[in-house]
Amino acid sequence: MTSTTAAPRGVEGKSRSVAEDVPLRTQGSGRAARNALYILRKLGLFVLTLWAAVTVNFILPRLMPGTPADAALAKLAQNGPVSDATKAAIEAQLGVPTGNIFEQYVTYLHQVITLDFGVSYTFYPQTVSELVSTALPYTLVLVGVVTIIAFILGTLLGVLAAWKRGTWLDTLPTLSGSFASAFPYFWTALLLLFFAGYVWRLFPTSGAYGPTATPNLSFGFLGDALYHAFLPALTILITSLGGWILGMRNTMISTIGDDYVTFAEANGLKPRVVALRYAARNAILPNLTSFGLALGGVVGGSILVERVFGYPGVGYLLFNAVTNQDYPLMQALFLMITLSVLVANFLVDILYGVLDPRTRR
Amino acid sequence: MTDTTVLEVVDLDVDYGTGGGATHAVRNVSFQLAQGEFVGLVGESGSGKSTLGFAIAGLSKPPAVIAKGRILFDGKDIASMSAEELREQRHGGVAMVLQSGMNALNPVRTIRNHFRDIFEAHGHVEKSEWDARAAEMVGKVELPPQVLARYPGELSGGMRQRISIALALSLEPQLMVFDEPTTALDVLVQHAVMDTIIELQRRENFTALLISHDLGIVLESAQRVMVMHEGQIVEDAPAHDVLRKPKDEYTKMLLSHYADPRGKVVELPGFEDRAERSKKGASRAATAAHPPTVSPRERRRDQKSIVVENLVKVYPPPRRGESEVRAVDDVSFTLEPGASLALVGASGSGKSTIAKLITAVEKSTSGSVHFGNLDVAKLRRGQFRSLHRDVQMVFQDPYAALNPLHTVEYTLTRPVVNFTKLRGQDARRRVLELLDTVGLSPVEEFAAKLPHQLSGGQRQRVVIARALASDPQVIIADEPVSMLDVSLRAGVLALLEDLREQWGVSMLYITHDLLSARLVTDNIMVLNHGKVVERGETAEVLQHPKDEYTVRLLDAIPNPRKVA
Repeated sequence: MTSTTAAPRGVEGKSRSVAEDVPLRTQGSGRAARNALYILRKLGLFVLTLWAAVTVNFILPRLMPGTPADAALAKLAQNGPVSDATKAAIEAQLGVPTGNIFEQYVTYLHQVITLDFGVSYTFYPQTVSELVSTALPYTLVLVGVVTIIAFILGTLLGVLAAWKRGTWLDTLPTLSGSFASAFPYFWTALLLLFFAGYVWRLFPTSGAYGPTATPNLSFGFLGDALYHAFLPALTILITSLGGWILGMRNTMISTIGDDYVTFAEANGLKPRVVALRYAARNAILPNLTSFGLALGGVVGGSILVERVFGYPGVGYLLFNAVTNQDYPLMQALFLMITLSVLVANFLVDILYGVLDPRTRR
Repeated sequence: MTDTTVLEVVDLDVDYGTGGGATHAVRNVSFQLAQGEFVGLVGESGSGKSTLGFAIAGLSKPPAVIAKGRILFDGKDIASMSAEELREQRHGGVAMVLQSGMNALNPVRTIRNHFRDIFEAHGHVEKSEWDARAAEMVGKVELPPQVLARYPGELSGGMRQRISIALALSLEPQLMVFDEPTTALDVLVQHAVMDTIIELQRRENFTALLISHDLGIVLESAQRVMVMHEGQIVEDAPAHDVLRKPKDEYTKMLLSHYADPRGKVVELPGFEDRAERSKKGASRAATAAHPPTVSPRERRRDQKSIVVENLVKVYPPPRRGESEVRAVDDVSFTLEPGASLALVGASGSGKSTIAKLITAVEKSTSGSVHFGNLDVAKLRRGQFRSLHRDVQMVFQDPYAALNPLHTVEYTLTRPVVNFTKLRGQDARRRVLELLDTVGLSPVEEFAAKLPHQLSGGQRQRVVIARALASDPQVIIADEPVSMLDVSLRAGVLALLEDLREQWGVSMLYITHDLLSARLVTDNIMVLNHGKVVERGETAEVLQHPKDEYTVRLLDAIPNPRKVA
């Protein structure tokens, strides 16, 4: 029995220090190389999927029997014999594939790269590129901006709801958010249209700008465009906000229970720092994936909302293309939607790498 | 209250919930801590020790409520402080190190930023001094300054726990509460981290409260020990008094479950020394005062050995640019029918991988495993059943090994139906029989329970009953008692031992706990980085270890008797 009951082991510990497990692996320069490698790997994957998507877009229509010209001719043939001249005219208009499949593929790739998607059937003689480039800004501004606003606002409200769990700051946004998002898009759109547009006459009921305005970049026109975009924007905001609030609130509640949040509190960090830098900073990560998907979907527009408000965006264009069997327009739009989903996912991947050091390894 | 008193707890009650349905986690607790004292707080799970620790650190959160009493720190009652007062007193006040230090760091912030957050919150360090101070703090826990640039995910568990100690220390606390600071760590790392804590306390002279379930660790480090049982402090005395003349029955019981595996004679309640027993040729149940847990029965006639030859398992590199991992490296052994063999080693030594290879959960890189004349590696999908009928696993974590949505009866009926021809009433009779075998009676009552209604020891018995359902010849027990309270361990070990002796079930016992290996196995193999570094009779190897690694494992065991 020695008298050093207090701490008979402390001294021997010194020699061992941290001969423990894992050494400090890579040095500082290794981290930069690893980051570059991470981005390169994601970029490579992006290019590969892009090529696959473009190729599938080429192959799919060719797997279907017949050509668009055949379909048009068959329709005419029901009403009586088709003259050779008509046949030639239709084939000239719709195009008949020439050369073998590889030559077609090369021509197709060339067209994709030069954004030459031919002439629209419905809006003849406008080219597909012209149509898309006119519609795209409206959709990008309307759906894109609103999606970003909804994400930011919803995330903030979600953080607040989780942090003040059980108070009115939690119940009010959570309940009203899930209530509003339970309505279908078109129903909310119709309600707003009826009251704000028709009964109270606060906002225009259709179009992207007034009948007398011509599209340019003057303040007058931009103000008019915003005025017209207000109701459709509000519709999208109301119906999508609840999802973001709930998503963020739920992940945030589980991170609040994590040990690093308790430890941060035990270390006396300010509540705001604990909530944002510790809890919310980690809780937002899984939500970024859904945000990426939502952003990718922006280019497809919001068909229902654009249709109800007669808003000339990509969604409206797509609706017209489908109802009128406008193949060139459809093909170009599908390609564009695929592309934007891929780009959005790529950006989220990179962002994820920046925000979460664990993914970089 | 004297001048040197740092903390005074008076008549403290902490409840979970309020009103009639409240449970009293801490009851009528009073004690004082003097400046510079190192005090241990010991108790088993559910004793209220962590609840008490959280209350002292001002971290009690609903449903935990301080129902009565005061916690006076520096003369001020922590319970009546406002949130902001409490936050401010965390500098120079009470700091806490959590049990799961590995998860106590924000995965997306570097270590340097963790320190900056603390300095920023309390403003006790000049901004220009931040990095220098952070480097000084990690130096105190024996880490190099390079760790400051790391993210938590890039550090090992032991390093992360050291970092959280350094973070708590950077608050310049008068009192540090350590809540099970080494429990989640590997044995060898545990030992090193404990040394650092002891060393730091002596050098920095803060007051320390070490909360642990392990009386051994506490007795080795603390000057004074408080024992907690069912919410009350049942013993509060200097460490060597607790060890040599414990007053409380509960403390005596806890102490009786410690023994030095290196001793000539190793006995625990329910276990007479193995060597003595084999001299008499008697079974555990026959020699111990405790009744046998299973009734004897005829041994199966088709008993087979497990023969492992030159087994190798190589895993691909965990990250780019690193070398492959040889988890199991040329291991051979034979497990005879009715024999018991211990596989011991620290985490990462490959002991669990061997279990996976034997049960064909994973495929070996080379070498072979034979069960009788069955080559385990050559089994096809449909043939696993015959192997698994005879070779069953008991897992480490009884909390994760049972589906929380199914009753005990359902859990046990599945393997009975899968592996035997019993159905309906016969299957039910068999389930009840199994429950009786593992000592869970009244059986009808236990059959109807859900896992959350059982204690850890009872759950582990259900897991063992499930393993027995197919009437196996071999049980592979992977750390079967490491998650259980000390007082429950002996019972589960006795059950495993009786199954072997009475039924002839052979056992491969995987553990890092050398004491339990000494109690239930005849032979032992010590593994280090996948290689067998030492093998032989358990009692012989543990008394006269030859390999340096075995010696380190033995040294890492906290043992109160070492102090005496």
